[in-house]
Amino acid sequence: MKRAPYTYGQDLSGKQYWRSLDELAETPEFKEALEREFPDGASELLDPVTRRAFMNLMGATVGLAGLTACRRPEEKILPYSKRPEDVVEGMPLYYATAMPFAGTAIGLLVESHTGRPTKIEGNPRHADSLGAANVYAQSSVLDLYDPDRLTSSYEGKVSVENKRTAEQVKAALSARGTALKGKGGTGLAILTEAHRSPTLARQLDEVKKQLPGAKVYRWDAFSRDNVREGSRIAFGRPLDVSLALENAKVIVSVGSDFMHTEGSPVKNARAFASGRKLAEANAEMNRLYVVESHYTVTGSNADHRLRIPARDVPAFAMALARELATAHGVNLGDVTGAVDAYKPELVEKTGKWARAVAKDLAANRGTSALIAGDSLPPAVHAVVAAVNHALGNAGKTVNYVKAVDESSDGVASISALVQSLKAGEVDTLLILGGNPVFTAPADLDFAAAMDKAAVSIFHGLQENETAQKAKWVVHASHYLESWGDVRALDGTASVVQPLVAPLYASFTELDVLEGLLGGTRSSHELVRATWQAEKGGVDFEKNWRRALHDGLFAGTAYAPEAVEAKPADVAAAARALVVQKADGLEVTFHPDSHAWDGKYANNGWLQEMPDPMTKLTWDNAAFISKATADANGLRSGDVVTLSLKGGGSLTIPVLIAPGQADDSVALTVGQGRKVVGGVGKGVGFDAYGLRKTTGMSVVQGASLSKTGGRHDLAQTQTHHVMEGRPLVRETTLEKYRQTPNFAQTMVQHPPLLSLFDDFKYEGHKWGMVIDLTSCIGCNACMVACQAENNIPLVGKKGVLMSREMHWIRVDRYYEGDIGDPHAVFQPLPCQQCENAPCEQVCPVAATTHSSEGLNDMVYNRCIGTRYCANNCPYKVRRFNFFNYSTDNITNPKELGKGPEVNWSTTREMQFNPNVTVRARGVMEKCTYCVQRIQEAKIAAKREQQERVKDGAVVTACAQTCPTEAIIFGDLNDKGSRVAKHAASPRDYGILAELNTRPRTTYQAKIRNPNKELEQA
Amino acid sequence: MSTNTTLQDENPAVRAPLVLGGKDFHGVTTAVSEIVERPTPKPWILGFLISLAVLGILGATLADLVGVGIGEWGLNHPVGWAWDITGFVFWIGIGHAGTLISAILFLFRQKWRTSINRAAEAMTIFAVFAALLFPGFHVGRIWLAYWMFPLPNQMNMWPNFRSPLLWDVFAVSTYGTVSILFWYVGLVPDLATLRDRASTKLRQMVYGIFALGWRGSHRHWVNYERAYLMLAGLSTPLVLSVHTIVSFDFAVSVLPGWHTTIFPPYFVAGAIFSGFAMVVTLMVVARAAYGLHDLLTIRHLENMNKIILATGTMVGYAYGMEFFIAWYSGNDYEVYAFTNRAFGPYAWAYWTMISCNVIGPQLFWFKKMRTSIPVMFVISITVNIGMWFERFVIISTSLHRDFLPSSWGYFQPTIIDISMFLGSFGLFFTMFLLFVRYLPMIAIGEVKAVMPAANPHGEHGEDERHTAEAAHAHG
Repeated sequence: MKRAPYTYGQDLSGKQYWRSLDELAETPEFKEALEREFPDGASELLDPVTRRAFMNLMGATVGLAGLTACRRPEEKILPYSKRPEDVVEGMPLYYATAMPFAGTAIGLLVESHTGRPTKIEGNPRHADSLGAANVYAQSSVLDLYDPDRLTSSYEGKVSVENKRTAEQVKAALSARGTALKGKGGTGLAILTEAHRSPTLARQLDEVKKQLPGAKVYRWDAFSRDNVREGSRIAFGRPLDVSLALENAKVIVSVGSDFMHTEGSPVKNARAFASGRKLAEANAEMNRLYVVESHYTVTGSNADHRLRIPARDVPAFAMALARELATAHGVNLGDVTGAVDAYKPELVEKTGKWARAVAKDLAANRGTSALIAGDSLPPAVHAVVAAVNHALGNAGKTVNYVKAVDESSDGVASISALVQSLKAGEVDTLLILGGNPVFTAPADLDFAAAMDKAAVSIFHGLQENETAQKAKWVVHASHYLESWGDVRALDGTASVVQPLVAPLYASFTELDVLEGLLGGTRSSHELVRATWQAEKGGVDFEKNWRRALHDGLFAGTAYAPEAVEAKPADVAAAARALVVQKADGLEVTFHPDSHAWDGKYANNGWLQEMPDPMTKLTWDNAAFISKATADANGLRSGDVVTLSLKGGGSLTIPVLIAPGQADDSVALTVGQGRKVVGGVGKGVGFDAYGLRKTTGMSVVQGASLSKTGGRHDLAQTQTHHVMEGRPLVRETTLEKYRQTPNFAQTMVQHPPLLSLFDDFKYEGHKWGMVIDLTSCIGCNACMVACQAENNIPLVGKKGVLMSREMHWIRVDRYYEGDIGDPHAVFQPLPCQQCENAPCEQVCPVAATTHSSEGLNDMVYNRCIGTRYCANNCPYKVRRFNFFNYSTDNITNPKELGKGPEVNWSTTREMQFNPNVTVRARGVMEKCTYCVQRIQEAKIAAKREQQERVKDGAVVTACAQTCPTEAIIFGDLNDKGSRVAKHAASPRDYGILAELNTRPRTTYQAKIRNPNKELEQA
Repeated sequence: MSTNTTLQDENPAVRAPLVLGGKDFHGVTTAVSEIVERPTPKPWILGFLISLAVLGILGATLADLVGVGIGEWGLNHPVGWAWDITGFVFWIGIGHAGTLISAILFLFRQKWRTSINRAAEAMTIFAVFAALLFPGFHVGRIWLAYWMFPLPNQMNMWPNFRSPLLWDVFAVSTYGTVSILFWYVGLVPDLATLRDRASTKLRQMVYGIFALGWRGSHRHWVNYERAYLMLAGLSTPLVLSVHTIVSFDFAVSVLPGWHTTIFPPYFVAGAIFSGFAMVVTLMVVARAAYGLHDLLTIRHLENMNKIILATGTMVGYAYGMEFFIAWYSGNDYEVYAFTNRAFGPYAWAYWTMISCNVIGPQLFWFKKMRTSIPVMFVISITVNIGMWFERFVIISTSLHRDFLPSSWGYFQPTIIDISMFLGSFGLFFTMFLLFVRYLPMIAIGEVKAVMPAANPHGEHGEDERHTAEAAHAHG
């Protein structure tokens, strides 16, 4: 690309300077005079035209005419006339911020290149991140640049003629506020998401103060009401539950996916894994029991997983409490009597389980944790809280902390709003974020109720179902361009700091409320004011700056509450609990692993990210067990009608999901959006239609009928067993203690010899170790890699043709019975083989070994024979079948999506400038983030260090891994973490018997089963 | 014409004559030359138009591949090669018969080769062209495919001499060049014959230019014979080397099902097998179309069928041996690769291959079968179907399920895969039809040399030592 500055003298600010009246008027005389003064091509043709000169000129013209075709495309750039402080092109800056996620917030450090946020990293100081991030945080940067974002506010439908400027929006809001003030705020209803922002709470309080008649409601499709209600029953206060699993030896999850979707997933995963790091052979390990119906990430990491229908899960929790009280003398007070009806055997095949788990829990008082799923009834939470309290776990492994907001964010709240709307009590409905028309319980018919409000204002990032029904659509700022604040589950407060000025002059929630109140304070001022009040004093400026730098206000975490159990209340709740009875099939609702509750439906990275268990992309399906499928004569991909007795039906394909409970259908909500951008359009099936106030998480009485139709389900992995191959090598803790090097002796092969002397690595020798005991299969590494390395998407059709481009993938294998298998995960980046099969077969030497041991891929040299990919035993090489990253406009049908999936003028801004965007016909693969290695080497050289220090280079996958399962570093540095891990007896290379000498090695997986449950 | 089908081997000590119908030298010249000189026959025009249409499909396919990308094919991540390299090996295999007939049979003094060598060589060259389409267009960035050649450049960047694909470049280009030279040298005397018989100025000039001033002098013949012998000597190792090197593409890799030492002889046998089958298919048609029963006798066809039987049996042995070694090696991946081949998702392809390549040609044990035109026509076609499947089975079944079950996949061809393969036939037949229309498809000079009339000593039984000189003398 040729870069040409604008011509001197042409003022880009638009100002026109003139020297004479003639010039201003641009009279022909003036132009002629100018021409005469400075004629174009003045030096040419001074001599009269001779034949010879003519021939010369013509010859040169013809000769040069061909050259014009060789000109590079010209592009105007502007140099900084005044360089902003700290901005150096090519040197990224990192800013701390935080992303609100589900019931918590994830502290982040965001990489910014010349003002463009490009990559999300965890904030090591933040308790809910600890330097890691999950798939949703990693992919949130793509939402910022989503070409389908609302770029303007609208009065009425989203269309050009309804566009309203920021001033018009402010005027309208202020006018509305004034009108409302006239009647004391009566008729104003504000619906927020389950936000955790102190400043937003303060603003809402301000609204209530100025407009006393105003009502505030909250709604989240995955409410934590039951958790708080359970604590209220158990302890008299609606407390939140924050886990400290690093202190737990025995962890029992009753229907909770605490490592992936509930609570503080990143923190929980780290804590869980920290109890399983096996430094020495005799190290201790925690033990995880999971009881659930749908195979979750947490369930797949269990040492023992009990697969029962969701309706039986509460009964199991009760039976467990009974067993603890009766057999192990755990003092539950009145609760003992209340749960007496729940004999362990009452629930099918669970007697042995309940007894064994109870025994393990009782043996680990104060170092165990019983965790109930968010969606379980409050009574179960209450009993679980009572048990944790009685076992002495409260305050040690399970912390009961103050809830950021004690009000309902679930059915109670949204039902009240709908009732009030239907009663005509609301004339102004202000919806701050979310998408209630899509996500609210089906029986409430939120869309119809919304019409009752005379004025409905929707504030959101994208046009969605709710925006379409609203009278006003106010475009929202992404959190990466907003000032705000947020508290994590444990109370830690962070400032949400903008990385970039709003791309489209959009509004934050704070702006909207401020506008309504007629104020003029900016979000920044509002947030500062909140914290000035909280952390005021002379040091405020210092504290504020520290908070911005660190990403959190130190010491804002809530202290675990000292709780006092109220067994009588718990007993009453337990007695009142009505356990659902089997009635046909049951249906359970879960957040979609791609779209969450629907808000990420337009995020291509998430849509193409395989579901951790089923490896399904670009879709959702009804997950059923093999037995249920056989009973109904179904195969994966068969389209069925799923009907509920209480009314409602859904047409959806089924997917046989090993590990799913029999007679139980798991549905994910969030897909099947009707009003959505180009990426999410036509993806999946909307299961919200079946979700009603009476059955928000589990509902009985469903039936399946085959429609005869078929639907292609794009899975990234279609073969689920290891075929007896020693890929993931695992054993039990006990056997591992006997033979720590079992993994290294598993494969017998002849000595692996070479005719040549090995290359001597004098400098660095990069290597990676992946601990399979720690990996929980969450896929965070995959998105991190995608963001870091500009990896394109291939769309559903691409995945169906097995053309996905992920450089690191997480292989998931099942083992055992197809109905109830156990699962293992294996992240697989390029193995950077010492003796790489790919290198020797490339005819043009486009892939070669570096002097630091990397298997380099030279895109410029690659001609795309794909021989390397064929010869790669690990199948980690990815081929650009089309121009995925730039002009897939030529072939949108291949992507099954519009061109915006990979490229748009905004999408382009996310690209990492340090990584080439690959063209069509080129092979690509994991490089161990070679750009990061180079950066660290340059930094080390500048600081005159002899070599890059351990930890100075972290690959994107290793950096974001919540469980620190991926360790990267210099194998030549004997003190490095990677070298120590590589020397472990658990370390092995997959397919090392081929003499590929992989540089990425694995630490064998160790499980810690309970002997009593072993002989099932 | 009854003598054509009469098999004259009642006396095993006397070989059947190679030219029937009591033709003398002039008869042979006329029979062959007239094909070129007669007005264009209608069936030829029809055939040519069809071929041209199919060639047009190829053009559109190539434009699509270059314009849009090879993602238009059904390739995916485990299966990086499928119909493309299958097509390449298929055509290269077919291209083996020509040189084998011209070179090896020449050195072994197999005189029956003279009636078929010209057409077989032409077929070889056209097959090599068709084959080159595939590696040429299967690369991701065709505009840079020339980087596979060792061209000096300012970066001192050479190709990777360890890569079997590079060996392919050298092997195939050498083979193509030598085949063209060999074919052209053989054509020179016949071109001169056509020049001398030309009825129009244009024909005389064009044939004259390509005849390189051939006058049929003794000196010419001596030089010609030497050149021919040397080229035959050069070509002979090439017959074995090309497919050996092509097989290295697979044998040198680490993939179970590819990584095997039996490949070189197995591929060469397979190539000869498919090449002869293609010659039989074409000759049966040409013989009927142009009434060449006297020159292309049943004996010729029967000899070729014998070779098909022999090589087909060798290929069958190789199939069996692969299974034995997979089992004997004790390598689980190897065992799985072969079990999967025979019983996995591509079992249908495997059993098609076995039926066509191993079972079908066994019929040629029976003389009735190997001398029956309809039987040999059908079998020769099924052999080529089977040989296409053999390459597909080797390439795709090995790739689609290799080491890590997580990456297993399945290949399904798209319309562009099919049109590319179909289009390659368009290219082949267009060139072949042009060849039969404008060049003598039987080597006139060489056929004359094996006729009894070329023998100055008269009927000496099977002693045909002097035939070559005699043929020259009679011009």
